[in-house]
Amino acid sequence: MSDIALEVDDIKTYIYSNRRCNKAIDGVSFSIRRGKTLCIVGESGCGKSITASSIMQLLPALSRIEGGSITYHSDAGEIRIDKLPRNGARMRAIRGSEIAMIFQDPMTALNPVYTVGFQIAENLKYHTKMTARAIRDRCVALLRHMGIPLPEQRVREYPHSLSGGMRQRAMIAMAMACNPKILIADEPTTALDVTIQAQIFELMNRLKAEHGTAILLITHDMGVVAELADDVAVMYMGKIVEAGTVDDILRRPRHPYTRALLSSIPVLGRGKNQSIRPIRGSTPDPYNRPPGCQFAPRCDFATEACQRMPDETFVAPTHRVLCWNHDRVAASG
Amino acid sequence: MGTFILRRILILIPMLVAISFLIYLGLELTPGDAVSHMIPPDVANTLSAEDLEALREQLGLNQPFLLRFWIWLTNVLQGNFGHSLEAGVAIKDIFLDRLPATLELSGFAILFSTIIGCFLGTISALRRGSATDNSLTVVGMLGVSIPEFFFGLVALSFFALHLEWLPVGGRLMPGYDSFWDRAPHLVLPVLVLSLMMTAGVMRYSRAAMLDALSREYIRTARAKGLPGWRVNLLHGLRTALTPVVVLIGFRLPALIGGSVIIELVFQWPGLGNEFIAAVRGQDYPLVMMIALFSVLAMLLASLIIDVLTALIDPRVRLE
Repeated sequence: MSDIALEVDDIKTYIYSNRRCNKAIDGVSFSIRRGKTLCIVGESGCGKSITASSIMQLLPALSRIEGGSITYHSDAGEIRIDKLPRNGARMRAIRGSEIAMIFQDPMTALNPVYTVGFQIAENLKYHTKMTARAIRDRCVALLRHMGIPLPEQRVREYPHSLSGGMRQRAMIAMAMACNPKILIADEPTTALDVTIQAQIFELMNRLKAEHGTAILLITHDMGVVAELADDVAVMYMGKIVEAGTVDDILRRPRHPYTRALLSSIPVLGRGKNQSIRPIRGSTPDPYNRPPGCQFAPRCDFATEACQRMPDETFVAPTHRVLCWNHDRVAASG
Repeated sequence: MGTFILRRILILIPMLVAISFLIYLGLELTPGDAVSHMIPPDVANTLSAEDLEALREQLGLNQPFLLRFWIWLTNVLQGNFGHSLEAGVAIKDIFLDRLPATLELSGFAILFSTIIGCFLGTISALRRGSATDNSLTVVGMLGVSIPEFFFGLVALSFFALHLEWLPVGGRLMPGYDSFWDRAPHLVLPVLVLSLMMTAGVMRYSRAAMLDALSREYIRTARAKGLPGWRVNLLHGLRTALTPVVVLIGFRLPALIGGSVIIELVFQWPGLGNEFIAAVRGQDYPLVMMIALFSVLAMLLASLIIDVLTALIDPRVRLE
C-alpha cells in the first residue's frame, strides 16, 4: 500500500456568477500522506477553502470541477472523487466516513437544536451498522477521547451550553466518529483563543499519531504551520506557488510570496523595533487578473519574464516552486 | 415548564381585568348609549325625557362609571356574563351559538394554510430560482396583497353565482345540520381564508428555510454524508420552524375572535358577524365579552407560542 492517502492532480474549480467566471482554483496539485499533516497556507480568497470543498464535493451550487483529478486511495482501491456524482450514494458514503471535515467556527457549525450526542450519532448511524446502544456508548467514548470532561453528561447537552473549545472538540469527535482516513480542517482554530488553539492542535496531533489519520489543515497562520505541518503548500490566487516539507518552506523559501508572508509576521520576544514588512498592494480582482504570474504586480523580484506564467520547478525532490526568479530569491538570502 | 405555564395563566387574570377596564372606558367615551339605539328615533320623540330616564335607570346605565364597571366585573367573575341589551339573550347562549361556527371556519383555515403553506414554502426554498419558486412567489405576493373581501367577492360571484356549484353564504339550512350538510357552505369561506393565510405562511416559511439552509450547520450535516432529505428536513426545516410558529400563533386570536370580513362577506353566523352587529347597536355587554374573548385568545396564543418555541429551540428557556 502506498503511503499516499489522497492525490490531487492539476485540479481546476471555477465559480460562475452573473455570466462571469472566477477561476478559483486553477491547476492545483498536491498529495496528502498517511499519518501526516499537509498545511495549505494563503490569504483570504486564495482558494484554500474551495480546494477543501472540491475534495469533499461540497462546492457551492454554481461552481464546478472543470479539470484534473482527485484520487482517493481507499483500502478497497483507488476512487476518483471528481468522477462521482456530487450527492450520490457513493460520495455520501465517503463523506464523513472516509474523509471528514471540521470547520472554522464551532459555534455556527453545530446545529443549535440538536444535542451533541445526536449530531455525533447521526454520523455513526449512516456509516456503520452499529446498534443504537453501541452508538450511544461510542459517542460518550469519543467525547472522552477528545478530552471533554463529564462526557456522559455532555453528550446530552446542546451546543450552546458548551464553551468554544468544547464545541470544537465535539466537532472533532463528530469528524473522527468513523475513524476517517483523512481529516480536513478548515481554519479550525481561527475562532478560538490562543490557549484553546494550542489544546486543539495537541489533540489533532495525538489523533494523527494514534489513528494514522492524514490531515489537511487549511490556515493563514504561519505559526500554526510551524507547529503542525509535515508538508506545506502556499497558495496564491488559485495556484500553489510553492510546496515542500515544512523545513523547505520555512527555512529555505524560494518564492517571493512565501518570503513576503514570512517576513510580515511579528515575532514575540523580538521587541517593538523588529522590522515587519507588509506585502505591498492587495490581491487582484479575481475577475480581472494580471497576465502571467499572479503575484508579479506586488513582487520585489518581478522581471519582464513574469508577464508569462512560470512553469513549476523542482529545486529539491520534495520542494517545488512556481517562479521565474527563484534563484535570485534564494541568492538574496 | 409546568410552573412556567401555571404562572403565565395566573398573570392572565390581572391582565384581563386591566384590559377589560380599558375597553369599558373606551365604550364609555363613545357618544350615545344603548337606549338611543334600542328605541327608534320616531318612537323616542314621542316618549318623555322621564320615561327614557326611567329606562336608563332600570338598565343600570345611570350609575357612576366605576360602579358600573365594578358590577359588571363581579358578575363576570362569578360566571354571569349578562344579557345582550338588544336581543335580550344571555351572552353565554350567544357564544354557545356563534363560537362553534367561528371555530369551524378558522380551524379548517389554520389547518390547511399551515400544512400547505409550510409545504410550498419549503419546496420554494429548496428549488430557489426555479420556475416553481418564481411562480409560487408571484402567487404568494398576490395572496398577500389582494384584500380578502375582494377575493371573497370574486370567489362568490364565480363559484356561487356564475357556476352555481356552491351556496352563496350562510352556514346551515333549517333541518339539515350534520357536518356534511354544511360542508358545501364551508368550502368558499375556508378556501378564501386559507388562501390568504397560506400566502403569508408560504412567504414566511420560504424566507426562514432559505435562512436555515444558508447556515454553516447545513454544510456540516452534508459533510457528514447524510442524505439530502435528512439535511433539508431535520437540519433545515426544523430550525426554520420557529418564525413560522410565531406567525401562525399570532394569527390564532384574530381568527378565533372571528375573521370579521370573511364572516361578513359570506354571511357566516360566527362571532365576527355578531361583533359588528354589537358594535353598531352599542350593545355594551356583548361588545365587552367578545372583545375580552379576543384578548384572552391573544394572551393564550402568545403563551402557546412561547411553549412551542421552547420545544423547538432548546436555546429558548422558559423562566
